[in-house]
Amino acid sequence: MHISEGVLSAPVLVTGAGITATAVGYSLKKMEYKEVPKVAILSSVFFVASLIHLPLGPASVHLILNGIIGLLLGWSAFPAILVALVLQGILFQFGGITTLGINTLNMALPALVCFYLFQKVVHRKINLLTLILYFLCGFLAVFISAIMVAIALVFTGEPFIQVAKLIIIAHLPIMVLEGILTMFCIGFLKKVKPEILIITG
Amino acid sequence: MKNKTILIWIFTGLIIFNIVFSAFAHKVNIFAYIEGDRVYTESYFNDGKKCGAAKIEVWDNQQNKLLEGLTDEEGLFSFILPSLELITGGLKIVLIASMGHKAEYIIAEEELGKFRELKEKESINPVTSISSEDSSGDLKEITHRLENSLDEKLAPLIQEIRELKKYQQEKISFTEIIGGLGYILGIFGLIAYFLSFKK
Repeated sequence: MHISEGVLSAPVLVTGAGITATAVGYSLKKMEYKEVPKVAILSSVFFVASLIHLPLGPASVHLILNGIIGLLLGWSAFPAILVALVLQGILFQFGGITTLGINTLNMALPALVCFYLFQKVVHRKINLLTLILYFLCGFLAVFISAIMVAIALVFTGEPFIQVAKLIIIAHLPIMVLEGILTMFCIGFLKKVKPEILIITG
Repeated sequence: MKNKTILIWIFTGLIIFNIVFSAFAHKVNIFAYIEGDRVYTESYFNDGKKCGAAKIEVWDNQQNKLLEGLTDEEGLFSFILPSLELITGGLKIVLIASMGHKAEYIIAEEELGKFRELKEKESINPVTSISSEDSSGDLKEITHRLENSLDEKLAPLIQEIRELKKYQQEKISFTEIIGGLGYILGIFGLIAYFLSFKK
């Protein structure tokens, strides 16, 4: 879901960059010293996750993992994803430098939304319902990202419904997979190391 | 410490998964070459999946759009090279795939220039042969044969060079991945350093 250089119009790019800069600034101010290693590790996870391509569905798609990242990082998802995207842009030519802002926003905002939606669920006892909610967290994060990419593309003149449909269908396998991954990952962390799920600050 | 170890394990797992499936991701590529009087283009995603039904636009240096078209199911699209007088500078071939993907390939002016020379030679050759006598008829025959056999012999080599060029364009090396991870550690190390002043 990396939007390439030269596709979007300047107002969209500037808006995206503005919102991202504000959010990154806010979260860096909020970030606590002991949180930093966790943010760095999840940034690395996001960095390599997009190299894991899945030959599913009609288009070329890859793991995003913004559901897990959001749930584990909260606001810090913004700097984590921004740093990973900068390096993906420079080293792999994914996305681009001018589209950094909007791409970060498209990935990190759903992460944050999922954090606020599912943050409470994380501290409940594991049962069938919570497992389903974990699944939904991973699923929804990618879903919202897809919608946001479609919205960004609307301003280039592509019809919204058509693009949104295309992106969502292409990413359906990833949504399901990320749902399952989130379910196992959070379930596992809860059993082994529940402290990691508590976000301070 | 334990949580870090777990994350490192997950992370290593992801890398191994990545290597095993030799996976590449989200980027479209376009590759083009001139053969005869046509320009051939190939469009594909980083993992090698063909990029079908995508729009292709051909521009010159002066932002004049020369032509446009759609790729077929195999991600291929070819067009007759527009007459060289129409082109100022090189050719820029832009691929516009769905979902905000875009890529371009540039055929440099020099490459077009070489092609132009070749064409001129071809058009001059017959003229000189008419003006001279019988012996040059043989010469013409020999040159023709020579050219044909050269073409034949060089074809695999040219193909190989094309493949190499393509590979160079799309590859993601392990060094880059490890380097990227190093940068991430460094950047967050810096953040940690500055945060350490905050009490």
